[in-house]
Amino acid sequence: MKINLKKELIGHIILIISLLICLWPIVFLVSASLKDLNQIFQYPLNPLPENPTLSNYFTVLDRFPIFQFTGNTFFIAITVTIFKIITSLLAGFGFVYYRFKGRELLFNSMVLTFFIPMSVLIMPNYLLISSLGLLDTPYGVILVEIVDGMGIYLMRQTMRSIPKSIYECAILEGASPLYILWHIILPLVRPSVISISIMFFINAWNEYFWPLLILKSKTEYTLALALPMFISAEGGSEWGLAMALAVLTSILPFILFIICQKYILNTFIQSGVKG
Amino acid sequence: MRLKAILSGLFCMLALLVLAGCGNSTSNSGSANDKVVEIEYWHVASDSFGGQTVRELVADFNKTHPNIKVTEKFNPDMYKGLTQNLQAALASGQTPDVVQMGWNFLNYAHENFETENIDKIFADAGDPNFIKDTFEPNIARLAQTDNGDQVGVPYSLSLPVLYYNPDIFKAAGLDPNKPPKTWEEVAEYAKQIKEKTGNPAFFMQEYADTWTNQALVESNGGTMLTHKDGKWQAGFDTPEAAHAYQVIADMVKNGTGLHATNEEGFQSFTSGKLAMVATTIGKRANFEKSSNFKVMTTTFPAFGNKPVKVPAGGNFLMILSKDKAKQKAAVEFVKYLESAENLTKWDTGTGYLPPRKNMAQEGPYKKLIDENENIKKAMEMLPNVTPWVSFPGQNGLQAEQVLIDARDVILNGSKTASEALHEAALKINDLLK
Amino acid sequence: MNRLSKSGYLLFLPAAFFFSVFYYWPLLVNVVLSFFSWNMVSSKIKFVGISNYTDIVQTAEFYSVIVNTVLFVLFLLIFNFVLPYIYSYILAYVLKYGKNLYKVFFFMPSLFSLSVASILFLWIYNPLAGPIDAILQMFGLDSPRWLKEPILVIFSISMIIAWKVFGYNFILMLAAMMSVSKEMIEAARLEGASDWVILRKIIIPQTSSSAIYVFVITVVFGLQYVMIPVNILTQGGPNQGSANLVYVIYQYAFVFYQVGKSAAYAVLTMLLFVIFAWWRNKVLDKKVYYEN
Repeated sequence: MKINLKKELIGHIILIISLLICLWPIVFLVSASLKDLNQIFQYPLNPLPENPTLSNYFTVLDRFPIFQFTGNTFFIAITVTIFKIITSLLAGFGFVYYRFKGRELLFNSMVLTFFIPMSVLIMPNYLLISSLGLLDTPYGVILVEIVDGMGIYLMRQTMRSIPKSIYECAILEGASPLYILWHIILPLVRPSVISISIMFFINAWNEYFWPLLILKSKTEYTLALALPMFISAEGGSEWGLAMALAVLTSILPFILFIICQKYILNTFIQSGVKG
Repeated sequence: MRLKAILSGLFCMLALLVLAGCGNSTSNSGSANDKVVEIEYWHVASDSFGGQTVRELVADFNKTHPNIKVTEKFNPDMYKGLTQNLQAALASGQTPDVVQMGWNFLNYAHENFETENIDKIFADAGDPNFIKDTFEPNIARLAQTDNGDQVGVPYSLSLPVLYYNPDIFKAAGLDPNKPPKTWEEVAEYAKQIKEKTGNPAFFMQEYADTWTNQALVESNGGTMLTHKDGKWQAGFDTPEAAHAYQVIADMVKNGTGLHATNEEGFQSFTSGKLAMVATTIGKRANFEKSSNFKVMTTTFPAFGNKPVKVPAGGNFLMILSKDKAKQKAAVEFVKYLESAENLTKWDTGTGYLPPRKNMAQEGPYKKLIDENENIKKAMEMLPNVTPWVSFPGQNGLQAEQVLIDARDVILNGSKTASEALHEAALKINDLLK
Repeated sequence: MNRLSKSGYLLFLPAAFFFSVFYYWPLLVNVVLSFFSWNMVSSKIKFVGISNYTDIVQTAEFYSVIVNTVLFVLFLLIFNFVLPYIYSYILAYVLKYGKNLYKVFFFMPSLFSLSVASILFLWIYNPLAGPIDAILQMFGLDSPRWLKEPILVIFSISMIIAWKVFGYNFILMLAAMMSVSKEMIEAARLEGASDWVILRKIIIPQTSSSAIYVFVITVVFGLQYVMIPVNILTQGGPNQGSANLVYVIYQYAFVFYQVGKSAAYAVLTMLLFVIFAWWRNKVLDKKVYYEN
């Protein structure tokens, strides 16, 4: 392809401006967390803190059980991810491997659940979790999130792209379905499984609404829940602390993203868009 | 096969998780047989607002009362969060014994949470006159329903005051020692400040409640609710109420008032951009700490020479225990919390005002007042405190929302106060039917 | 492929079980509760027939809530469907350099929790002390009341969602754009087709299945995301100006404690989503180009 210099230039200008708009909230978040309280609102447009200080971070770590929040968040996110991956792998594989009457119906009845807005489900699920005695426990949060319609859809799409001959060979050799899934299919789709897991994990890590209803005691709080407490507390907002906590909340997804960038940006996306 | 093993392992884990969840809920109930009476205290004090004080008070109580063990539990999201949690707890049969309940949830709590009569609980515990002896009648009245049933014991008081920034006053040629006393003056001051600095100068809190609006309406001689033919009706469809709302709306309209979310308004004030904020005295400590100017306070402005009436914010204590021994322990605990010394601790930690008689004249609280002019100004308003109207009936909370929405419409300028209040009154009368 | 064997059922069992309990059972519960009046705690539950529905349909609130929902969807579609579409086209067909860098950086905001984003934008939107106001003041302009004006509040909240979701959708679209067959485009070029014709005849049809996917997640996930900033920043205000179908369900249940009305709203909302899903299946899918 030839390069049209003028077009190239205009295109980059548009994209770079948009990129700056997208990224400056992040820059300001980090810089505000390094400013002391008076500076934050004094010079909203100055991204560089005059006397950068970590005092907000120390105060947050000192006054709030951040490690407990992090532990709670991690426990919920990792458990949800594991269960979602297992249920999605099994069902996704089943839909590729078996042909049976009502398959499409069953598939649709699972995948279309992602059309159901969460808020339609929260009140009945709240009553159910409450009657199971699981309010205020991480299990109350996790139990509702063990399945994911999207996950099943993505898993089926990925496994469909494996040539049929591979399945047929395995069957001729007399392997059982679980053996095929575990030893033959899984190694082939591993990149997709990893990237889907990462997406599940980040989403569960960031989740707000459902945990907000279920988790009542502060000892059970996740990071995303702890944050608005700083702003709407009766005593008044503590912005410096809130910004520091916001940075702490977002660090893990960032690290995960930077390490696994390639997976997320290539594999998942390609498996997600076909068909 | 390996997968099978892993799978079965995971399902065992799930089963264990569920069991562990159930196990938790049963383990609390076995304690009634012990000699020590265990009671649970629910509060809304976050770490930045009295949480530490609650822990200290409870620890100290447990040390000095070896036969009672209090556990405290923080409930996030204020009284809305607390009532949600309380509903869940009641449904599962695990009632806390003492809870902080917001004044505006008074009717709701009284109608929905079955409690024994608080006068009887105190009489059984051998102190029938506690409430009468401890509080002024207008304060004790705050925790009563309209037919005079005492629902709980007043505990935390807050009321709306006017904060101002003396530096902006000076810059605009105003005397910081002569803060506005009436709404007419507030409007004049705001105009002068706007001319000098170009910024809006006044913000009134916009929480999702009608607290300051009630202060406005009642201070102008209006009412929020009236009782007619045995039915509750909106009382604010009157010229007095409309005028009270309109004063603020006019300021917003001519650019001297700010209409924004609470957090935005408070930010603007503490960052030194906004001159005056009308909000709760509970914000005092936070304002003083996060501003780089000397925050000053004055009483809630009046309409001309009409008497100022401010609704009580904060909370009262309800005793929900059914068990006699627990009730007695709860009374013991409440009396401990209400002592002059412990109220002073609580109010230092939070910024609330004490409901107890004579606190400004004697004892540890007097020292606090002498050191802080802002608290003194707020204490001057205690005789003006009236009950925070809470909307009755099962649609009560929705009715309150209608009035909150009306405020947005009025401040927006899309309707005049009298139009918007009239429409709100029709809707609310329909909901209260 | 294979006949379903006994052990085959086991593959579907975990998913089927949890879908039934936590997705389909609640829908039934909603239908039942929508005929009752209950405050979630009291032992008094009253059967009220269809009056929850008739009450809802008779209030003006219902219609304004629907209008708000439609506005949310429109704004979300502009920011998270149309813009990513255009941008991915530019990056895939106009530009030669920098594809990977743009991908990485545009994706970053989607790593944040919406609770972080809400708090961050609360400060950005501050009409007197926020950065947007500071910029406007340089031009002598006053900041609008982002979260306090009708319609503008919907725009402002949609912007928060847009900020989080844009990069994700952008990358999905970009992947689709990049996978359009290069030979076809070259062949068309040789025959003298203009960029416009290539876009219309080749690129749009070939990326349509991804486009539909992005369209659907924009609407479906977007409306779920909206609940978080609404709950943290506006609680449905001003004057219910940011209340939408998914939020009122929560509001009636957990703010007003009117379980029956909440359930009735949930049932009505569910119906609308079923219609949307059906429309997607019947109408949109027909216009889609599939590779296989």
